[in-house]
Amino acid sequence: MNALTVRDLSKRYRGGTLANDRISLSVALGEVYALLGPNGAGKTTLVRQVLGLLKPTSGAIAVHGVDVVANPGFARRNVGFLPQGQFHMEMARIGEVIHSMARLRGLPTAEAKRRAEAVIARLDLEEFRKTPHFTASGGVKRLCGLASAIVGGQKVLVLDEPTNDVDPVRRQLLWGLLAELRADGAAILLVTHNLAEAERVIDRFAIIDRGQILREGTPASMRSLVTEMLRLELTPGFGFMPHPCLMPDQPNPGAYLFELASLTTVSAWLEEASTGGRVLDFRIGPPSLDDIYTAAVATPAPPLKAAS
Amino acid sequence: MNPFRQYLELLSLSIRMSRSMIWFISMVNVAFAVGLVVGFGYVIPDISRTTALFLVTGTATQMIVTVALVALPTSIAEAKRDGRLEFLFTLPISREAYLLAQMTFVFLLSLPAIVFAVGLGAWKYGFALELSPWVLVAVPLATLSLAGLGVLIAVLSPHFQLTNAITQLAIFYVLFFAPVIFPREQLPAFLQHVGDFLPASHAADAIRATMTDLPGTHLLRSLLVMAAFAAGSLGLASAAARRRG
Repeated sequence: MNALTVRDLSKRYRGGTLANDRISLSVALGEVYALLGPNGAGKTTLVRQVLGLLKPTSGAIAVHGVDVVANPGFARRNVGFLPQGQFHMEMARIGEVIHSMARLRGLPTAEAKRRAEAVIARLDLEEFRKTPHFTASGGVKRLCGLASAIVGGQKVLVLDEPTNDVDPVRRQLLWGLLAELRADGAAILLVTHNLAEAERVIDRFAIIDRGQILREGTPASMRSLVTEMLRLELTPGFGFMPHPCLMPDQPNPGAYLFELASLTTVSAWLEEASTGGRVLDFRIGPPSLDDIYTAAVATPAPPLKAAS
Repeated sequence: MNPFRQYLELLSLSIRMSRSMIWFISMVNVAFAVGLVVGFGYVIPDISRTTALFLVTGTATQMIVTVALVALPTSIAEAKRDGRLEFLFTLPISREAYLLAQMTFVFLLSLPAIVFAVGLGAWKYGFALELSPWVLVAVPLATLSLAGLGVLIAVLSPHFQLTNAITQLAIFYVLFFAPVIFPREQLPAFLQHVGDFLPASHAADAIRATMTDLPGTHLLRSLLVMAAFAAGSLGLASAAARRRG
């Protein structure tokens, strides 16, 4: 059963900007659905409508089958949310914030305390329990936000950039936690730019730009869209100049994409450049999800759905 | 969780969020009140009992105005700017509970200053207060009626800076152009009429009526006007907070 369903959702702001244009997607229980797109693509507008903060111009949103456009209170009771920005809780301590959020989510005092303790332990926040929120690092604040989003035990979670500012060790914890939540049956709508790491938990993803879904599918099906491309990573040496066949993979320095048909040409060029010291080492492999995303956003294309 | 428990939890969270600053903010409020009570005494050298009573009860009202029309909207506007307000509004809480918790919090911060201003004024100018039990209705109702306006300004204002500018203007106006710290008769006719429509004028009148024996107060009328202002502004603020763009 779909825990979250969005159908033909459009949102036009008063100024005339069409932020969402007939978007449809669904997230099932036990599924992680990622939403990718450049800044201003319409992701936040979509999220705010799901949470009942914005009223759609047209279309429908249902959480557990309930129309939350007509009943936004149902979304507030049933959706855990991590906002993209930090919510400043000033001098409240990290442990207090998480406990308060559990209480405000409606849990009885003892249950709120039990769940807050469990989440603090799971996210390795024990040493920061008494740290005032405003003195905590960005990463700890982010984890506090994530803890606040999941502490109520809601089965639908909307997480906007959960890994922002989080150190590599805790990012592993975080992805592990999301995998556990998915295994426990949570439906997770994940907004992220950290595709390389998110790939391990993503079941399906959509690439959104200019308010429309450009591509949607599983990571495997999305990869099949770019089978004609290869990815080259290299370490440049003195006098390095990229071959004209290579397309820089922004913003990753030293990473390039090229067409499969150019493999012979690129291989010959790499051999010559390696011998001349202009390329110190290199690796050729399949394109990453980041590459798929970059290609989809860079190439104007009609909305297309890949097979799931 | 019922709205009352939400209110208590949100009030507790607000206290925790300010924690060590609470003492400092309360002292700043006290210093402001002392400044008004003592400072105006220098401006008016031969202060009469009536003037002193106006000054002291007006200072108590001015503290409520400062808290309700400056501290409260500023704190809500900050929460809006930082994204905290929107985040809290994604929780299953009553928006009225949130707004009332904020009002209570800033009122608690101003309470020491109100008590101190009145006590200091009575001591400095050598008069005894005629406290009526109605003061327990007048002070919270004055806070509620003015705080409703403050919340309305914060919720409707699109920018933090605009909220700041409006609230600063409001406090300046009430201090010098409304019958709060001095009698109504000292104002030009036009400002007297404007004052009749300001909740601050009625708050000052009610506080005078419940703390002094000064003639010319209209307690019942002031309480009714404040109640109407509180209901109207809180209703509008609540509707504005529920509004979805």
